[in-house]
Amino acid sequence: MEHASYFFLALLWIVGWGTVGAVVTPRIYGRKDLDVSQASLAGAATGAAGGPFALLPLWYLTPELTWKWVAIPSIVIVIIFAGSFAAADPNNLCVTNSGFVATQLVNGLVIGTIYGLMALGLTLIFSILGVVSFAHGEFYMLGGMAVFYLTDVWFPGLHPLVGVLGAAVLTFVIGVIFERLFLRAMNTGQVERPGEYAILVTFGLGFFLQYLTLALVGANPKKVPRFFEYPTISLPSADNPTLLKVTAGTIKMFNLISIPSPRFTAALIALILLVLLMWFLYYTWIGKALRAVSQDRQAAAVTGINPDTMNTLAFGLGTMLAGLSGASLVQVFSWVPWVGIPASARSFVIIVLGGMGSLPGAFIGGLIVGLVEAAGAGCVPDPQRAASYIPAYGMLILTLVLLLKPTGLFGREL
Amino acid sequence: MIELDVNHIKKNFGGLQALNDVTFKVRGPELIGLIGPNGAGKTTLTNILDGLIRPSSGTVYLNGRRIDTLPPYQVARAGLGRTFQVTRAFRRMTVLENLMVPALAMHPTARQHDFLDKAMEVLKFLTMDHLVNEYGRALSGGQQKLLELGRLLMLDPDLIILDEPFAGVHPKLMEIIYEYITTVNAQGKAFIIISHDMETIFTLSRRLLVLNFGELIADGDPDVVRHDPAVIEAYLGEEEEEAGPAMVETYLGKDKRQDA
Amino acid sequence: MNRTKWLWGLAAAVGLLLIAAPALLESYPYIMHIAIVAFFYAILASSWSLLAGYAGQFSFGHMAFMAIGAYTAGIFGKYVRLTTAPTGVCSEIPMGNHWLVLVNFFGDNCLELGKANMPVGTLIYRLPALPGIILGIIMGGIFGLLVGVLVLRLRRTYLALFTIGFSEIVRVTFNAEIDITNGPNGLELAPLFPNGVHLFGFYFNSANKIPPYYVMLMLFLVSMAVMYWLSISRFGLFIRSIREDEEAAAALGVHIVRYKVLVFVVTSMIAAAAGAVEAHYIGVITPNILLILQMSLVISMAVIGGLESLVGAAIGAIIIEFALEFLRTSFTIGPIVVDMTTWRLVFFGLLLMLTLRFWTNGLIYPIIQRLTRSGVAEETVAMRQAAVEGAVEGQG
Repeated sequence: MEHASYFFLALLWIVGWGTVGAVVTPRIYGRKDLDVSQASLAGAATGAAGGPFALLPLWYLTPELTWKWVAIPSIVIVIIFAGSFAAADPNNLCVTNSGFVATQLVNGLVIGTIYGLMALGLTLIFSILGVVSFAHGEFYMLGGMAVFYLTDVWFPGLHPLVGVLGAAVLTFVIGVIFERLFLRAMNTGQVERPGEYAILVTFGLGFFLQYLTLALVGANPKKVPRFFEYPTISLPSADNPTLLKVTAGTIKMFNLISIPSPRFTAALIALILLVLLMWFLYYTWIGKALRAVSQDRQAAAVTGINPDTMNTLAFGLGTMLAGLSGASLVQVFSWVPWVGIPASARSFVIIVLGGMGSLPGAFIGGLIVGLVEAAGAGCVPDPQRAASYIPAYGMLILTLVLLLKPTGLFGREL
Repeated sequence: MIELDVNHIKKNFGGLQALNDVTFKVRGPELIGLIGPNGAGKTTLTNILDGLIRPSSGTVYLNGRRIDTLPPYQVARAGLGRTFQVTRAFRRMTVLENLMVPALAMHPTARQHDFLDKAMEVLKFLTMDHLVNEYGRALSGGQQKLLELGRLLMLDPDLIILDEPFAGVHPKLMEIIYEYITTVNAQGKAFIIISHDMETIFTLSRRLLVLNFGELIADGDPDVVRHDPAVIEAYLGEEEEEAGPAMVETYLGKDKRQDA
Repeated sequence: MNRTKWLWGLAAAVGLLLIAAPALLESYPYIMHIAIVAFFYAILASSWSLLAGYAGQFSFGHMAFMAIGAYTAGIFGKYVRLTTAPTGVCSEIPMGNHWLVLVNFFGDNCLELGKANMPVGTLIYRLPALPGIILGIIMGGIFGLLVGVLVLRLRRTYLALFTIGFSEIVRVTFNAEIDITNGPNGLELAPLFPNGVHLFGFYFNSANKIPPYYVMLMLFLVSMAVMYWLSISRFGLFIRSIREDEEAAAALGVHIVRYKVLVFVVTSMIAAAAGAVEAHYIGVITPNILLILQMSLVISMAVIGGLESLVGAAIGAIIIEFALEFLRTSFTIGPIVVDMTTWRLVFFGLLLMLTLRFWTNGLIYPIIQRLTRSGVAEETVAMRQAAVEGAVEGQG
């Protein structure tokens, strides 16, 4: 860090004027009787990007807010941030080595796909039941555990994909049982304050599942070998692999970007599942019924859809998606019973960022969080402190989004 | 002397004009009915008077004090009480505690037992004194409505706005509510009553405001308003209406027969 | 009336028993230790029940305020000294013959550097625990105010998510700022009474459990008294009305912003006080006190005791803390070793879920209600009455 002051000055500028914009803009717009639902976010973004030079026109000249007042400043903020970072730390690997940057970006997108899949389960549950499951991370953990026990302990030699299938069935069944036993009571009026009940009871479920797993399998990290051994491929030729070089462990593209192959497999599985999920939701009768319930419960009930069944199905599907994410990532990370805690925290961040209940929001949110994590892990100097702060970045995003625009990027208005 | 001045209130929701230039005054303990087809802006007007939402333009003065810029709790303390269309009794608090909330909110230094007698008096008046220690959730829907009316008596405002006080209420309780309105009105409190129940509102109120598409299309004696062509047009011209038009139609029809 | 008197008598007897307990348990320091920790959890669970059960603010950040209190006390103890001569290097405030020295957070320790300037025989004292604890309470209040203002617009799930985020940020900060907090290794604190204490004509050394027992008991009783008084006063009435229906409460003249913020401030200060005292008692704090497990414990204690009852939550916490400690013993069934340190938490999680599902008011609160004979019986009568009337309405 040679000129750290550049970076911190830029940060101060962003935070300071962002706060001013976030606080003042809604008031000014409220006084003018304009729509204030976007005002905090647009004010914060515009202020952070342009300071007073952008805020004054926003306050006095603009009749109404469009997405441009968020999108353009956001790009400017990223440029300011990256520029000041480069100026402050010119020798950083992220500034000097474009291959490293490209690798980080691609890996961020790859892991973001799986985050997106997991968050999709959570947002699916929310859009139908109106409940955020605080046990989501535990289903992720169970998915991975199931693969480990199916393929490595109980039936050694079982094909990993069968293990993944088993994990899907297990998490689906547990989710369905839990929904029937505990969450259905919310709709029948058997519990008071259903909203709070849902928070606490899913929280209790997470606690229960985590310690049950710990009691049953112990705290030793589990490791699953990678699902597929890719054949060695070199393009255009073995001596000159400028386009693509696949080895058992990594996939290297353009001599520049390298992706560890288990991650690549996991992302591939996630993408296939995403396509399947979209097909299910948009082209099958049950999927259409699910979406109908998420849009209007009463209307759907009138057309002969049983909302209770849809609740159960949605919860099962949601937990299954978490389980599948875990099942596909178990070959990447070592697996312990509390591996679900950061995963569920990340899912919260993603669905809040994308907008609670929004399916595209969850996927895009997943990609964004994957990218930010990759950038944070790769670029921040002072590695020890940076590593300690990594769990906080997401939470910072979460709290900021909740304060500025609780509906997220793609959320329906509350 | 109760004075409410509503001056040129406008309210836009995005592109939709919910209220357009609504102006009226209340002087003294009047008993006013506020009617209009669904979506006419009745609840929006109530929410603006209450301070729950701010008008786009225009002012509201209560007893000489500007209230359209105040938050709801200050409006309540300034002397305006309201009920909501959906009953909003505090379900997990006892009837007595429900009544204590407005009493203590109005008197920052008072203590609960200062209001025990008054609360019992109010409950007797509402024929609910045997329920004093029950939880709100244990009451029937009608009793919860009565409880809300009781809370207003503890708040002791000058002007009371009732949003659909007769909707879905047992006939026996309806009598109690009817009596409540006339008695409290006779004690010197002004009322604005929003209702779909035409028969009751025509016999009960002594002045009628009619809203249609956010505009105040009539203001005056119920007997005069009843024959106002604009009002008849507003009700009959509307096609998709559940209770309102049918009732007005039959009411107006019956009324015309009587005139003839 | 008779019954109320009887109940007050029971409460007084329990209070006396708690005060007299050390005399009986002096030779069982382990039980004394569990009791102290149980009071600590009782304070947290009951203050959380005030926040969540009474005011309806389901916050998952309660332990963060506790940790803020604990770390403030710890950092105060680490960085503030009283000397008999000025250092000339540190920032310091003269106080008569003494100087209050604030050691710098970063760089070389100025106190060490300043020793060169100080005459031989200069004494350097740590300050007693109390000012640090008070500072911790104030910091808890400040952060409570901040969070209370920020979450005004957020409800239910959003509030829960925000407070989880807040708690995580606090935990990670304590974890990462190793220079100040010692990070995961933990910040060491002096005992509550570093030089021991004279009590009732006896001398107790700093490792004796009796003085901290009384300190924690006093804190417990005082905070229970304060919260109980708040809950039966207008404060309690208003926060419950806000929990039930914010708009309706505002329409009846309740200043909802003030009371929502206030309940955050009050409960945060109580949590911070518990944290500061506990930190001094245990002697070391790590960011692990902010793990989800800890928050789960407090929530479960409050839920099982009775969310809408301060006393229920407190009793629940004490019983559960003792139960958890006594269930530590692992045993074997044939070849299977049952590791109770984990299994007890499994049962505990199951109990939490079942309580939520089937006993909304918790397990302890209904017993209290039965003892005071309030609520339940009359309520069922009224429910029946309402049902009958509802049937009549249906016909009419």
